[in-house]
Amino acid sequence: MKSITKILTFCLILVFFSACQSKENSIKKDELIYASTKDIRDINPHLYSGEMAAQNMVFESLVINTNDGIKPNLAKSWKITNDGKTYIFKLREDVKFSDGLVFDANIVKKNFDAILENKARHAWLELVNQIKSTKVIDKFTFELNLKNAYYPTLTELAMTRPFRFISTNCFKNDKTKDGVKCYVGTGAWILKEHKKNDYALFVKNENYWKNKAKIEKIKWRVIPNHQSILLSLQKGEIDLIFGSDGDMINLDAFTMLEKSNKVKTELSNPIASRAILINTKREITKDLEVRKALEHAINKQAIIKGILNNKETVANTLFSKTTPYCNIDLPVKTFDISMSKKILDNDGWLLNKSTNIREKDGKQLVLKLYYNANNAQEKTISEYIQSNLKDIGIKLQIIGEEKQTFLDRQKSGDFDLQYSLSWGVPYDPQSFISSWRIPAHGDYQAQLGLERKAWLDKTIEDILIQTDDLKRAKLYKDIFSYIHKEDVYIPISYSRTKVVFNPKLKDVGFNLSQYEIPFEKMYFEKSK
Amino acid sequence: MSKFLLKKVLLIIPLLLGVTVICFTLVNINQSDPAEVSLRVNNITVTKEAIELTRKELGLDKPLINQYFSWLNNLIKGDFGISYENKKPVIDELLEAFPITLYLSLFSIFLIIVFGFIIGVLCALYENTLFDKIVRALIFTTTAIPSFWLALLLIYSFAYYYNIFPSNGFSGFSSLVLPSVTLAITYISTFVRIIRNSIIQTKNSLFMMYAKARGISKYALIKHQVRNAITPFIVALNMSIPRLLAGTVIIENIFALPGLGRVCVHAIFVRDYPIIQSYVLFMAILFIIFNLIADIWVQKYDPRVKQFR
Repeated sequence: MKSITKILTFCLILVFFSACQSKENSIKKDELIYASTKDIRDINPHLYSGEMAAQNMVFESLVINTNDGIKPNLAKSWKITNDGKTYIFKLREDVKFSDGLVFDANIVKKNFDAILENKARHAWLELVNQIKSTKVIDKFTFELNLKNAYYPTLTELAMTRPFRFISTNCFKNDKTKDGVKCYVGTGAWILKEHKKNDYALFVKNENYWKNKAKIEKIKWRVIPNHQSILLSLQKGEIDLIFGSDGDMINLDAFTMLEKSNKVKTELSNPIASRAILINTKREITKDLEVRKALEHAINKQAIIKGILNNKETVANTLFSKTTPYCNIDLPVKTFDISMSKKILDNDGWLLNKSTNIREKDGKQLVLKLYYNANNAQEKTISEYIQSNLKDIGIKLQIIGEEKQTFLDRQKSGDFDLQYSLSWGVPYDPQSFISSWRIPAHGDYQAQLGLERKAWLDKTIEDILIQTDDLKRAKLYKDIFSYIHKEDVYIPISYSRTKVVFNPKLKDVGFNLSQYEIPFEKMYFEKSK
Repeated sequence: MSKFLLKKVLLIIPLLLGVTVICFTLVNINQSDPAEVSLRVNNITVTKEAIELTRKELGLDKPLINQYFSWLNNLIKGDFGISYENKKPVIDELLEAFPITLYLSLFSIFLIIVFGFIIGVLCALYENTLFDKIVRALIFTTTAIPSFWLALLLIYSFAYYYNIFPSNGFSGFSSLVLPSVTLAITYISTFVRIIRNSIIQTKNSLFMMYAKARGISKYALIKHQVRNAITPFIVALNMSIPRLLAGTVIIENIFALPGLGRVCVHAIFVRDYPIIQSYVLFMAILFIIFNLIADIWVQKYDPRVKQFR
């Protein structure tokens, strides 16, 4: 009797477990499951609360940024008048929105006007401030008039937001600034379903005008916990993780996965700049000699080897030489403790042997470095810098803060040192330096102590509207040389985008921007 | 009883008012300016003009006391405000996420009641036997394990290694098994302890001695002991339900379940104050309600309390 009961119980457990088998376990190879810690949220292309990768899947721009420069997209060609103030775009005539609406110059104008209606919200992008008027010349010809000849016009038109096109059927009262009724674009993907904080399902746009996507569906799964993402990836429930700077996957986990044969990994070329921002307005760091000493005190190579697993390259300048206008020869500030000590000694910061901290006029050399506590990589790098500075008699207090508090501190300028990451191409350098003029940015606050801050801001303004490429390059050289000489940034490394994926997934690559994912190129290898 | 009930219900009013004051103040003493937060959350460049405009839009330009009464007035009408992030009514956001949290909690409560009660009774009946000792050792271990670690351990074992359950997301009943077990385990330990101790204490009480002296059956004796343990069990359960609901925050994040906890964590990250305020208020109300239910239960079913009423 007892054995019968045992067998029955065992069978019951078996039935229960088999009933519990997840549907998700059987991955359909026409569906790519991508995991992100974030929901796609509101992907209105004219606003900023949605995930850029998702916006890029549905909405397109007139032109696109590529490694070979700006290329045609929804506009098949364009002409720029001699004064550089008028852009005339010839639009493709074979493009339709996924709701059937024909893409034409009227739609382009309505989209531009909707964006311009919300100028204050796009103030970070100088192009918005430079647009004077928009005009429909004929059904497929659109004219954009600028106040000044603004050189990054095409680059900024190609960015993921805000200059992308949404069907006017989705507009609310002819506007998009207060939200949209639907998310209909001309892109390779159509957003079919969205369950907030759970998943978003994108299906292939069968009527896409360009090369159609090779996969039928993309399921954007939201998994907030990094460890859960890694386990799901190894289990095969998800096919792809894609991200930069430890927001999706940290380098330790990346290296561990690289060694496993269950998944494949790829790293992009260096894309953005990782640096420490020094506040030139603070009591101690306003002293150029202290900033100089800091430049020589940090062992970047050790950070890259020990913390970043040799996956990044040492940065000697704020931007890498491959960034436009940044191929400038600037003096390299090598890791040299004796040099740092000498600079501090000469500056009057003498080591108190009992405390092991340098002092000047009775004041200790104590600095505070703030970082985003949610990013494990930033914490480890900060700890390493702390030990580097201890070696030259500087006490560095490292403070990890929740992201919003970290941003609040940027605005207030209440920091000696702060962790900084640039936005990567195509935003670097023009959009990034443009933000140096905005008080809400840490860069602006950190530069306030510079003798030539007013000149710096004015030069940035001039760069953005300079028509002569040689003169522009000269102005870039001037500002980067000045910033380098004044030691406002301690460049650490050039970061890369990391991707981990199912080995059956092919053609996994990178777009120019670290915020975009080229899903349309990916496909699954056929099962043998 | 009705007088007691009326008194208790009336007491809820000042308590609720106090809770609203705390919720409102907590958000307003925060260093971050809600207008700036609202701008940042939408990736809007923070300029002086934008801040002023947003302050007006959100009614933050009015005196604090006016803001509080306006908020309270809206709350009474069922208007919990608008999310800073997606501009949707907060109530819709919470109601949309609530079912997942509810399923998760109900399933966990079911596990707690079944396993907590049964194991507790068995431990008391077989006091100091090998079974009791093993269970007590397990209780000690499971109470000490942090829930996030237990969750990852369960995912590794039952989702990754044995491939029995999905590791994350909500795709039906099977998705709730691992999160509910994670959530319930700590509570089961607590309830086993409560039930066990209560029954053991009852064993040596005078009324049990009289019952034995009256020569009633062993089964009837156990029934007496178990019945006596129900009241502390119900009281503890009532206090645990809101804690359990609040505790889904970590579990929902690890198992990627789109419930209330996720909404709250996300709101905290982006400082979506109307959602945080409403979530805290909702949890406080739950605590008050379940506390009231526990009080009423004790009044109604505990003869010792009855005699002092």
